[in-house]
Amino acid sequence: MAEPLLEVRNLSVHFPTEDGIVKAVDGLSFSIQPGETLGVVGESGSGKSVSFLTVMGLINRKSALVEGEVIFQGQDLLKLPGEELQAIRGAKIAMIFQDPMTSLHPFYRVGDQVAEAILAHEDISKKEAAKRSVEMLGRVNIPRPDERARQYPHEFSGGMRQRAMIAMALSLNPDLLIADEPTTALDVTVQAQILTLIDRLQSEFNTAVALITHDLGVVAEHCDHIQVMYAGRIVEEGTGDDIYYNPMMPYTWGLMRSIPRLGAETDRLTPIMGSPPSLIHLPDGCSFSPRCPYVFDRCHQEDPALIAVDGRHAAACHLPLEERDRIVAEEVLSTS
Amino acid sequence: MLRYIIRRLIWLVFVLVVITAITYAIFFVLPGGGSEAIAQRFAGKAPRPEVVQEVKIQMGLDKPLGIQFFNFTKNLFIGDQYGWPGLGKSFTIRQPLKPILMERALVTLQLAVGAAIMWLLIGIPIGVLSALRPRTLFDRFAMMFALIGISIPVFVLGAVGLYAFVYKTHLLPGTGYKPLLEYGFQPWFSHFLLPWFVLALLYAAFYARLSRANLLEVMGEDFMRTARAKGLTERRVIVHHGLRASLTPLVTVFGLDMAGLLAGAVITERIFNIPGLGDLAIKSIGSQDVYAILDVTLIAAFIITFANLVVDIAYAFLDPRVRYE
Amino acid sequence: MKSVKRRTIVAITSLVVLALVAAACGGSSSSGSNANGSGAAKGGTIREELQEFGWTSGFDPTGEYLGTAWALYDQMLMRGLMTYNHRDAAAGGDTPVPDIATGPPTVSEDGMTYEFELKTGVMFGPPVDREVTSKDIAYSFQRINTASLSALYGNYYCGVITGMTCDAEKVDTAIEGIDTPDATHITFHLDAPVGDFLYRLTMPATKAIPEEVAKCFTKAGDYGPYLISSSAYMFMGSEDLDISSCDTMKPISGYDVQKGMTLVRNPNYDPASDSTEIREANIDGLQQAINTNYDDIFQRLLDGEIDVAAGTPPKGVLLKFETDPTYAGWLHADPGDRTWYATMNLFAAPFDDVHVRKAVNLAFNKEGVRKAYGGEKRGQIATSVEPPAVLSLSESINPYSANTGAGNLDAAMEEMKQSRYDLDKNGVCDDGGACDDILFLGRNVDPWPEMDQVALASLQPILPGLTLKEVDTSTGYTTLQQMKKLVPISLVPGWGKDYGSPYGFDYYIFHSDGIYSCTGASNYSLVGLTKDFADECGIGAEYDAYVQNNGEVPSVDAKMEECVGKPASQIDQCFAELDTYVMETAVPWVPWIWANNWTSVNPTVNQYVFDQFAGTMSYINSAVDNGLAPENVA
Repeated sequence: MAEPLLEVRNLSVHFPTEDGIVKAVDGLSFSIQPGETLGVVGESGSGKSVSFLTVMGLINRKSALVEGEVIFQGQDLLKLPGEELQAIRGAKIAMIFQDPMTSLHPFYRVGDQVAEAILAHEDISKKEAAKRSVEMLGRVNIPRPDERARQYPHEFSGGMRQRAMIAMALSLNPDLLIADEPTTALDVTVQAQILTLIDRLQSEFNTAVALITHDLGVVAEHCDHIQVMYAGRIVEEGTGDDIYYNPMMPYTWGLMRSIPRLGAETDRLTPIMGSPPSLIHLPDGCSFSPRCPYVFDRCHQEDPALIAVDGRHAAACHLPLEERDRIVAEEVLSTS
Repeated sequence: MLRYIIRRLIWLVFVLVVITAITYAIFFVLPGGGSEAIAQRFAGKAPRPEVVQEVKIQMGLDKPLGIQFFNFTKNLFIGDQYGWPGLGKSFTIRQPLKPILMERALVTLQLAVGAAIMWLLIGIPIGVLSALRPRTLFDRFAMMFALIGISIPVFVLGAVGLYAFVYKTHLLPGTGYKPLLEYGFQPWFSHFLLPWFVLALLYAAFYARLSRANLLEVMGEDFMRTARAKGLTERRVIVHHGLRASLTPLVTVFGLDMAGLLAGAVITERIFNIPGLGDLAIKSIGSQDVYAILDVTLIAAFIITFANLVVDIAYAFLDPRVRYE
Repeated sequence: MKSVKRRTIVAITSLVVLALVAAACGGSSSSGSNANGSGAAKGGTIREELQEFGWTSGFDPTGEYLGTAWALYDQMLMRGLMTYNHRDAAAGGDTPVPDIATGPPTVSEDGMTYEFELKTGVMFGPPVDREVTSKDIAYSFQRINTASLSALYGNYYCGVITGMTCDAEKVDTAIEGIDTPDATHITFHLDAPVGDFLYRLTMPATKAIPEEVAKCFTKAGDYGPYLISSSAYMFMGSEDLDISSCDTMKPISGYDVQKGMTLVRNPNYDPASDSTEIREANIDGLQQAINTNYDDIFQRLLDGEIDVAAGTPPKGVLLKFETDPTYAGWLHADPGDRTWYATMNLFAAPFDDVHVRKAVNLAFNKEGVRKAYGGEKRGQIATSVEPPAVLSLSESINPYSANTGAGNLDAAMEEMKQSRYDLDKNGVCDDGGACDDILFLGRNVDPWPEMDQVALASLQPILPGLTLKEVDTSTGYTTLQQMKKLVPISLVPGWGKDYGSPYGFDYYIFHSDGIYSCTGASNYSLVGLTKDFADECGIGAEYDAYVQNNGEVPSVDAKMEECVGKPASQIDQCFAELDTYVMETAVPWVPWIWANNWTSVNPTVNQYVFDQFAGTMSYINSAVDNGLAPENVA
């Protein structure tokens, strides 16, 4: 296997608060290969966004305790001084966010905002930067990009804005694009367009993508590798097929049940019961145990480790494998 | 946009007429007023009816109220014997009011603009620095300053300022207005320094709090994260993205504050013996100088209404999301 | 001048100042001139600051009715037939003396013709630059007689001098009763004898005015900024006034009603045409500047940046003056010829019973109220209506001598027992309908609330139903002026003289002419009210009730006509009789203080003289040693 583009080792992000320490990310390890698409799935509060904001250096280090290593192209980003990290940010690692409506500055023209990103990293004239920003807007399928570049964000639709965000992110041809819920705030049809666009650009630019979402359906289609996060940790990881056709842990099952599938017998979606645990006081044993329909004694006593099931497919669950196979076959795939 | 401005200007005229009518009613129709009572005040003690009648004629108080009001409004719009706009003659000063009001408006303008520059230079940097270092010692001191600044009444601050800088130490020359063209820069400036500061402090404190709150709010906005994610320097993130978004709303507040001051920084003018519009307002009310009161009220109303319009237009240029039809 | 009317005109801020200027203490601490006496150094400029001029008529002498303006006209700017010596009463400051007149007039035996001879060498200042003639005196009377110029005290002349009616349409209308046979003679013909006519000829409206300038100003108040001097001083910059035509005249630079005025010596003034007894003319100039911050005025006085400030000093400064020996002699309290009084309405129960009004006079704690007002320096305890400088016999009129100042409750109760409102004859007003809930109108302006309380406490034993209501000064006066309100009793008012003879003082407050409109009476007690006027103003029922219970409404009208017609030597005695009637029979007032005027001066003023007529410092006879030339005063 080639050297990973990004390797996160044993990353913890803890926020001290008056009520106690919020363990937003707790001992997280994963890696992304060049050009690969990694899907990161989990409910809100599972630590998926926080971990990637930490990678970007966008977590305020004064208010957070960050431990572990974030090796990007051989450098530990957590140890880099501000300016060097800033040079990587935007240029080598770019990020787009959940809400395109608020992620662009309302007072500046869209073209200028894209050009600003280019100018921040390349020593070129403003004119040239403007030209490139129009070009980038064209490449993300914005019609009449030269005109559009002179418009303000509020004159763009949501989908357009996300395209503009993508144009901005890819304008410096980064090695890694972190897409944090890029489609959540958009209409379903627009969602598909954006994801297809990301797919296309990924192959054009050969960019690795970390696609963060709470929608397992989205990642299954678009990702080489998927990791499911719960309470600041990975609870299952594997290829898209592994996770989609052979999920091996009750939380993933819950996620499966909560997405609509073509050809399913009913339209009924089953949400996961209960709510995400307090990150200050995690339950004893398996942190999913209070919400798990298959819970048994051991779950309350022992935290299950992430154990390989098949090749890179790994899951953290105390249930015997046969039992899980049966449940998947009988309850998860059939009903949903 | 042009149609919008025209509509607003028509509205402005309407507002002025209504305000004139209300002010008129207060002084003429409500108890204690009335042409008779006003005329008697200027006709000496135990005035003979002929004298009262003469005073009425000379002051334009002899006609029925409706006609008086009509004449006043008419003069306002088409001018009177002293030019346009027709602002009438003062009962007490016995001179046409227009040049007096112009001169005083200019004095108040100097007071207000100087104070505004001062409070912007003091208030906004303090607010911004506080927002950038929330909950630090600086922030706490700055906000304590702001709280004190907002709480101290101007007349107290003025008296303390005079005591500290004039009576006790003689660092500053004292009260009064020394016109720039007549006295030169140094006397003009040194006489304005303390009134500017006294007037500015309250606003500086308010603007410090406001800009701090706005910037703190903006710092949490998504577009700020985007700016950082682009790899911009922190300086650029704050100045170009943060301040632009957080200070633009201040334009509205600033416009109205300026208008309020131009309409009469009454207490400051009285304390520092600055012959501006506010001082005239007080004197005119005390002496029942009706046309002077009406004029000052009108000017105040005009400035405030007009400032509203200017602020709205300026805002359209500063915030691209705002457009008027 | 210091009339009710006037005080309602000026701004509220200065109301306080001017009202408190009137202080009291008469005999005990009155101060005359500083000991330096004559031979004071010449030169220097007196610098004074005031909150505003507050002119009633734009500083036009024909209409102007403010005491501070009269001081400037009479001392500094204008000369007329008669004037005063601009000194205190002890030095004769309340007696008219000839000014442009060469001496006392020749008065006909019937007292109806006054013939004056004029001095030569009295010059108008620049740019008029010519001698003052009898025509210039006659012209000022033509101005008084002109309706559009609104002479505010025209009644002293119209209906008095033959042919004067105060309703002439044009200024150049000659007056039948004034003859100017040549430049140095002028004769006045009266319709009836007027004993205090010479006093009336001291008034600013009668002083010389040059027609060539004044003809351009035919509306009340317009002439003020163009005033041409005929005396020792003039507006600075007068020489630059272009009088070639009415259109070329621009206000004189040394006068700006909004900023202040600077007076300099009139180069045409010839001391030989005047007397140093009247005008020492020591100073080179006088600057009166507007400063809206009253505290600042006194701070600047302490700092020596100005020399004079009139009025009650702010508390801290007053304390310094009173306790710190460094400041001994800074504060001057001089008789201001003003009486502060409690007014009782003859037509409001229970004061429609004279015994109640007398009882109030006996019970009233004048000492206590004066103490609350600021003590002895405020003035002399009043026993009668007129200040002693106006009527010297006033001090001997004391019908309520049982009240030595602090109130005499026993005497008051004895008096109250005779009242029909004291049903059980125990000395307390107890007739429910009349004695409950009696409005006592006071002021909410410092120090009045304290004074109101002291007065109230002294009256409540006999009038337990008194209910204090305090309002601001202006509201207080306008409330009293409205006849229909029938305010029973009030501590609000004060009254000052116009000139130093009793008629000018008594006329408006006790004559039925003082009830000249239903909303503008200055005779608040309504002495001499007629049935017709009572009906017109909606208090006919109260009038009838009074007559039913008491008979005739007391009136001083006839007596006053009689007194004013007396020769000058008998006037005072006649008015003393009139005042005695007022105090004993009509009893509309409780006069409680003859108040002093306060002037604070920096020691730069090395000779301080008080002008009894104007009630201000005598700028003309005082001296200052600040060495400043008027043009150098910033």
